[in-house]
Amino acid sequence: MTIQLTDLHVEFDQGFQLKHINWQVEKQQHWLITGANGAGKSALAAVLAGYGDIQSGSTGGLPSPIGWVSFEAQAELIDAELKKDDADITDVISLGTPVREIIFTSEIDAAIAQDLITKFELDYLLNRAFRKLSTGESRKVMIIRALSCKAELLILDEPFDGLDSSTHAMLQTHLSGLAQHTPIVMVLNRFDEIPDFVSHVAYMENGELRHQVERNDEAAYAELYQLLHLKTTQLQIPPADTDTDIPALNPQQPLVKLTNICVKYTDMVLINNLDWTIEANQHWQLSGPNGSGKTAILSLITGDHPQCYTNDIFVFGFQRGNGESIWQIKQFIGYVSTALQWEYRVGTSLRNVIISGFYDSIGLYSKSTDRQKQIADQWLTLLGMQDRADYPFNKLSYGDQRLLLIARAMVKHPPLLILDEPCLGLDDINRQLVLALIEKICEANETSVIYVNHHAQDRIAGIDNYLALEKSADNS
Amino acid sequence: MSNNYFNTLPLREQLEQLAKCRFMHMNEFTEGVDALKGKKMVIIGCGAQGLNQGLNLRDSGLDVSYTLRQAAIDEKRQSYKNAADNGFTVGTYEELIPTADIVLNLTPDKQHTPVVTAVMPLMKQGACLSYSHGFNIVEEGMQIREDLTVIMVAPKCPGSEVRAEYVRGFGVPTLIAVHEDNDPQGHGLALAKAYAVGTGGHKAGVLMSSFIAEVKSDLMGEQTILCGMLQTGSLLCFDKMIDKGMDAGYASKLIQFGWETITEALKYGGVTNMLDRLSNPAKIKAFDLSEELKVIMRPLYNKHQDDIINGTFSSTMMADWANDDVNLLGWRAETGETAFEKTPAGDMEISEQEYFDHGILMVAMVKAGVELAFETMTAAGIIADSAYYESLHETPLIANTIARKKLYEMNATISDTAEYGCYLYNHACLPLLGDFMKNIDTDVIGRGLSSDDNGVDNARLIEINAALRSHPVEAIGATLRGHMADMKKIV
Repeated sequence: MTIQLTDLHVEFDQGFQLKHINWQVEKQQHWLITGANGAGKSALAAVLAGYGDIQSGSTGGLPSPIGWVSFEAQAELIDAELKKDDADITDVISLGTPVREIIFTSEIDAAIAQDLITKFELDYLLNRAFRKLSTGESRKVMIIRALSCKAELLILDEPFDGLDSSTHAMLQTHLSGLAQHTPIVMVLNRFDEIPDFVSHVAYMENGELRHQVERNDEAAYAELYQLLHLKTTQLQIPPADTDTDIPALNPQQPLVKLTNICVKYTDMVLINNLDWTIEANQHWQLSGPNGSGKTAILSLITGDHPQCYTNDIFVFGFQRGNGESIWQIKQFIGYVSTALQWEYRVGTSLRNVIISGFYDSIGLYSKSTDRQKQIADQWLTLLGMQDRADYPFNKLSYGDQRLLLIARAMVKHPPLLILDEPCLGLDDINRQLVLALIEKICEANETSVIYVNHHAQDRIAGIDNYLALEKSADNS
Repeated sequence: MSNNYFNTLPLREQLEQLAKCRFMHMNEFTEGVDALKGKKMVIIGCGAQGLNQGLNLRDSGLDVSYTLRQAAIDEKRQSYKNAADNGFTVGTYEELIPTADIVLNLTPDKQHTPVVTAVMPLMKQGACLSYSHGFNIVEEGMQIREDLTVIMVAPKCPGSEVRAEYVRGFGVPTLIAVHEDNDPQGHGLALAKAYAVGTGGHKAGVLMSSFIAEVKSDLMGEQTILCGMLQTGSLLCFDKMIDKGMDAGYASKLIQFGWETITEALKYGGVTNMLDRLSNPAKIKAFDLSEELKVIMRPLYNKHQDDIINGTFSSTMMADWANDDVNLLGWRAETGETAFEKTPAGDMEISEQEYFDHGILMVAMVKAGVELAFETMTAAGIIADSAYYESLHETPLIANTIARKKLYEMNATISDTAEYGCYLYNHACLPLLGDFMKNIDTDVIGRGLSSDDNGVDNARLIEINAALRSHPVEAIGATLRGHMADMKKIV
């Protein structure tokens, strides 16, 4: 048996859609479907159970019978029971179907069911009406039904939800036995509950099947874990450090005002006559081909370009070239770019890399406070790296380094956050991690973001100002 | 011809000046760049030091411009482009010097006399003239107008590092001094400190020294252990390996990158740590070789120090300057023709540890050179702090240039004074070590000790470990590295 979903579009009652589903489940495989809330995990599982309105594409090899545990299936059963009650228009109080009848139907292997009833310690409930059960109890009944129906495929959508720990452990063990001969597809929100027998992971996002990872591909699995962590945790951006206050800015003034900017070298002109004003709380996307001067403009703002002294630049209350130091400018800015990552070749710890954001330094050269360490640890937790706080930065994967540098840029809650192609060189999963983090930052709305990118698909929710540069005519 | 300033001083003052060197505390820099705020700083020369110091000073909020000779501006020479492309004002001496509150002379030593002679009459009353090396004042006896303040601010790293460390939010160790004969307003130290802050030096550590201590220790270090010993050692070790039939590519690579690798251990933990990287038998071997080398070379180190102190070295070199650098350029060309220089490094892998195991003689040479330079300097009245910086501390920097560029380029990169002294040392040291090298085999350079003789005598090992650890360069080194670590990266 191979289940085959090919370019499938499915619509569900509430208008939810699954799109572009291409998926193949082999007989020997056990899948985990995961993703954030609302990503379409349960919907994909339900498709295997024959639910949903197929708009286009095809399904093949769907087995029968299927053992299905899910909130939807549970709700359906309870609903049916309630309808029976409604249908009883006599003045007799319906007792409802007893649990025994719900479980022991003709499709059920009675011996297995009885075994499970004992294991779940449900004997005392067999004569009670199903609709009188608590949610946890009815969930157990659902599970017993599904596991004893001689299924060709088991679909277990959050089967552990609401189970106490001993029952949870019992079920895990039981499933490991079943997995010897029955393929299992599980839906779980939490990676730490994944049974050992799961061999593949499917990651859903916005109704699409975004990633399919083999369990034994450790690197990809770890990234997926991190992505899920970021997507499913209620992201709380850690607080700023009250001891390293950024001076208050005059809200009447723009953050940045560039007037008639020209960047030229003895033999060429890179930028000619550019004006750009960034007001507080504006988010900008800056784009343009290679060599159009994107990075030059940003480094005029950050003070890293020597010609910031020969141009009309107003930043954070300073008209440049009047005795201010670049550290007075940089305190207002968080900055991430590929170049920064190249320059950040420091053997210092992950925690120190984040703390260095308070000092705008590459490496840490100042004694940090306990509060700064605490904040850094909160960021590490947010990134799912809390176990590696003392790990050397330069031993980190490329994607993790980038995430850490974004945290470094954000740690002081700067009025302006500059993200110069933050996704460049990252694989798809890491790109989504980065974008998820940036969206959280934009939502918080205390920081203006300048986002530079090439990939149009990397649009970020919340950015609504655009500056597109062209190659200067003199620069060819 | 010039008058040696040092030689005009009475012995009492000579000794007092030589002994000046103090590691300054961070809280001595709380005024930041205030003493230079709003002052006009004009830099003469826009090479690597000039440009990068200027970029740092400007980024620290100071007013910086560059003055070049008319010809350099008219012909748009590299120095002009360096300054102009970075958005600095560039003007002639006549245009800018009269406006300057502080003139930063960042030209090579050799040009100091003509440059200072040209700009001094243009400088405004009570302005400040800053050097990054004291040679012109101390060895050439340049007399500066009485109303002018004369200071020195010398970052102890190449210009590119000065910039790179600043941009990272740090700095490089910096030496400052005030020429006491020229401090009419008594604000020389305040200006020097503000200048050091402007380049970021205060974050990495500032040494308060004197013009004399800087010159006499700097010359000694650079021509003996730093450049001289590494050059002589490279040539001798390479020729020995070839003589013993080893692969030339391997020999070339072992030397080119070996100095850098073994002195990295020196940088972190002094001579002790460098020798601790060896196996016990190799450590004993290196120790014995270095003791032998120290006996042979001590008279040479004494001669260099004596010639530096009494001015013989500088007058000899200045005679060559006056003679169109005939000696210097001839010796530079000779270096380019040596077998080591002409043999490219092979592409074999050499592990970090192998550089130690197969370079026992190189370790012995570094140990002997560092200790001799340190001992000779302190015996001449230079304080241990200065002696440490000018010997052990800077050796890894030169080793790094050899790793990148080998000897010819190393010599072209270092200052003229260092290069000239390096050749003098090399010419004397090569024959001096002739007999010593006859007894050297590939067990100490190229192949390493055979692995079946790892046993050592306990008493001998204890004796050697104690000797290593009790050398005075190790005591001061531990203290100064401790200071630096407090300020430096928390890594």
